[in-house]
Amino acid sequence: MKGAYLGELEELILLTVGVLYENAYGVAIKDEIEKQVGRKLNISAVHAVLKRLEDKALINSSMGGATAERGGRRKRLFTLTTLGKKALDQANEVRTQLYNQIPKVALQFNTY
Amino acid sequence: MNVPPKWADRFLEWYCNPDLLEEIQGDVHELYQIRLEEEGKSSARRKFLWDVFRFLRWSNIKRTKQTHSSNSFTMLSSYLKLGFRNAIRNKLTSSINLFGLALALGVAITIFAFVDYMFNMDSFHSNSDRVYQITNLVKNSGDNNSDNWSDSPIPLAPALMEDNPSIESYTRVEFEQGAMRYNETVFNESIWFVDPSFLDIFSFPLQYGNIKTLNNPQGIVITKPISEKYFGNINPVGEVFSIKFSNGTKEEFTVGAVLNDLPGNSSIRFDNLIAMNAFENLKPEDANDWSFFTDATFIMLKPSHQISEVSSRMDKYKSIQNEASLNWPIIEFKFYSLNGLSRKNNEISQEISQGAHPAGMIALGTISLMLLLLACFNYMNISVATVTTRLKEIGIRKVVGGRRKELIMQFLTENLVLCMGSMMLGVLMAYLFFMPGLSSLFPITVSFSTISLFDFSIFFISLLVFVALISGAYPALYISSFQPVNILRGKEKFGQKSLFSKALLTTQFILAFTTIIACFVFIANSLSLKNKDWGYDHDQTYVVPTENYETYIAMRDGVRQNKNILNYGGAVNSLGESATRTSVTYQEEKLSVMMFKVGFNYLETMNLRLKEGRLFDESIQSDHSESAIINTVFAEKMGWDNPIGQSFEYDSVKRFVVGVIEKFHYYDFYASVDPVMFLITPEENLKYLAVKVEAGSLTDTEDYLKSIWKQVAPDDPYAGYFQDAVFEGFHRDNNSNMKLLMFVSIVTILLSCMGLFGLVSYNITRRMKEFSVRKIFGASVNHIFKLMNKDYIWILSIALVIGAPLGFFGINSLIEVIYPEPIETSAVPFVTGIAIMVVTVAITVSSQIRRVIKNNPSQTLRNE
Repeated sequence: MKGAYLGELEELILLTVGVLYENAYGVAIKDEIEKQVGRKLNISAVHAVLKRLEDKALINSSMGGATAERGGRRKRLFTLTTLGKKALDQANEVRTQLYNQIPKVALQFNTY
Repeated sequence: MNVPPKWADRFLEWYCNPDLLEEIQGDVHELYQIRLEEEGKSSARRKFLWDVFRFLRWSNIKRTKQTHSSNSFTMLSSYLKLGFRNAIRNKLTSSINLFGLALALGVAITIFAFVDYMFNMDSFHSNSDRVYQITNLVKNSGDNNSDNWSDSPIPLAPALMEDNPSIESYTRVEFEQGAMRYNETVFNESIWFVDPSFLDIFSFPLQYGNIKTLNNPQGIVITKPISEKYFGNINPVGEVFSIKFSNGTKEEFTVGAVLNDLPGNSSIRFDNLIAMNAFENLKPEDANDWSFFTDATFIMLKPSHQISEVSSRMDKYKSIQNEASLNWPIIEFKFYSLNGLSRKNNEISQEISQGAHPAGMIALGTISLMLLLLACFNYMNISVATVTTRLKEIGIRKVVGGRRKELIMQFLTENLVLCMGSMMLGVLMAYLFFMPGLSSLFPITVSFSTISLFDFSIFFISLLVFVALISGAYPALYISSFQPVNILRGKEKFGQKSLFSKALLTTQFILAFTTIIACFVFIANSLSLKNKDWGYDHDQTYVVPTENYETYIAMRDGVRQNKNILNYGGAVNSLGESATRTSVTYQEEKLSVMMFKVGFNYLETMNLRLKEGRLFDESIQSDHSESAIINTVFAEKMGWDNPIGQSFEYDSVKRFVVGVIEKFHYYDFYASVDPVMFLITPEENLKYLAVKVEAGSLTDTEDYLKSIWKQVAPDDPYAGYFQDAVFEGFHRDNNSNMKLLMFVSIVTILLSCMGLFGLVSYNITRRMKEFSVRKIFGASVNHIFKLMNKDYIWILSIALVIGAPLGFFGINSLIEVIYPEPIETSAVPFVTGIAIMVVTVAITVSSQIRRVIKNNPSQTLRNE
């Protein structure tokens, strides 16, 4: 395992799992990201990342929620674990912390 | 239809780990449905395929491990212990298994060593992959056939070397005989004229001296046996030989190098080497003549060049050769790599490379495979039968949670251990008995040291796997498939009616019959060849080869004075030693014939049988120049019903047939009998003096001839021989073959009877109670006998009907390959083979049946 660092796509999907709560599975996550971020992902990539996140114990999964369009097949539903929440918090914190340290001057662009 | 493409879906189902399939398939299907509505069918289908393809990654393919993992290492020791206990319990059957397999493996290992040795001849030459022999495919002048001759024009190699930059060096080989003298020691030796690069091209190991000796036309390279013969154990470099060549020239040569014993697996064997330059001095008129054929030509390519670079540019030499020698119309030059030359030497006439006939190798390989199969079938049959006593063990194992895979593992492990034991025993047998035995039969040494380690390990491992799987797979799979409930309730009936086991036994006996009939027919053939008529009586004939006319005359005069000598005659070519192939013309047609140039009285001396006409008569003038005597084959080929008085042309002289003699064998029985003609040649050409001796005085006469020789030609070696000895080499081969096949037959009989014995004794033990009950109810001995034998008689008859013809026709086709004129096969070997098999089988079975008859029923039945 490559440590606790979150990749960019991992973070995105982890966030989405949190957003969808109780209703997070492959297709839904893919749709949500497409809708909110405008990024097209292949479903297999989503699965791969979900598996990696589960390996890192950032999310949990259970089977459930068969529908007709799935041909009666159940979904694998993902939920955040405490560790996952912590990882998100940490990422968020690091980002905010770093953002806040940017000197004001650097962000003042003169627009003439 | 709004379902995604079926095949893609199936493909997904096929590759995907079943644990992950549901979610993945669900997702792709859901996406398909969404896209179907939003983007239409074709787009949805396309994207579905893409998704399926994208899911094809290792993490989705790999099957996750089952959570249950057995402690197979601990189990291994349990398997071994149980296997060992079982082996001890059934001492008889396990030792039959062990010994039978070991016997077959020992034979297989020995034969492998032998075949490996024969197939890898000449591979010790470090440049062997770059060395090629050039042969001459020549149209026969007589018929439309062609012969592939080892000989090629003597200037060919130098010309090739000049024209082809890809050739690094060449060597030609010209055979020569010479009387080699060192001080008082004289022997006739074979000498090869070779080009200086001979010892670069071939890597023969040097014992003493300088490898560059052949650069010097006065140098000679000798081999160790020659060195020991003349000089004993000292280093002879610098000593001088005086050599008298066949044309009478005498020259001196200094020993420049001694080669160590030629490696046993060298198919190219020689005694002495002299530089080709010396040949050019000896016969300058031949050295650059395109119509003079030297005995062999080898070229060595530069590294990383292809032979096609040379072979595609041979047309030029074809036309040169065809202009130079009209009666040798060449079709093409052929190139033989030194690797494998010894395997192809049967394609080449007058070959330089002495390899074995591949038919023999194939036969040996087949034999060893048959023996192995026999032993494996034995094992299979016996293990299936013995397992009846272990049914409970299998049932219990299954009940307490042993899975089928583990049971298979258990039986295979036991089997592997037994195979390894047999292998070791087999290696021991091969080392102690078979290899020395084989080496004593043939003029080669078979031992473990001749096999390359790589070949040997590959062979060993594959042999072990082969034997272990063939013999172990069926019992393991079969036994492990029983339902534990049936076993433990005693419902699993088993063994008696097994069709498979019967089929196996039948196959085994088919193999046995095939081998035995084949061996016996071959042995019968060899035996009859031993006594086969040569076409002339050779018992009382003695032959003295002479060096020159003076010696011949002196010997002849000496022979005239001996009253024990009934007749004598001279010849250029002596029967059994040499003959000249040439062609004659009859009505514009050419016929290829073997020619013997002889003196008067030679045919009478050799006891050749006249069929019609007369033999040569010195008093008839025309016999000196234009008469010919032919054999019956000649007359048949010409289509002459009445050959006497017919004429044909040879050497632009018309020859008249005055006599026809019966067919006779001028070489050994390996060679077919071609048309033969005898011509009279002036006495000064004669080389061999043949004498017919009064019965009982052969040795006296030999001593007498030797003493004359001492007076006449003290400088030359004496080489007289009994005509009987001409076939000695052939008979030695023949005897070796017979001994070998005799051994194979014995092993076959032993193996199949061992198998049968094991099986019968096992079945009887199992059915002892049944027989006891039958006896109590009054069954007669006869009745039980019939009951027991019924199955085996059927099996034996079926095997006989299939196996005997198989062996018969198989071996006959082999015999036809080896001997051009096979003996008519009689029924004797057939009947003997079958009788021996039937008798041994009967003894085997009845020895077991005795047990039943002697058995006291009350003892067997009281136990329960």
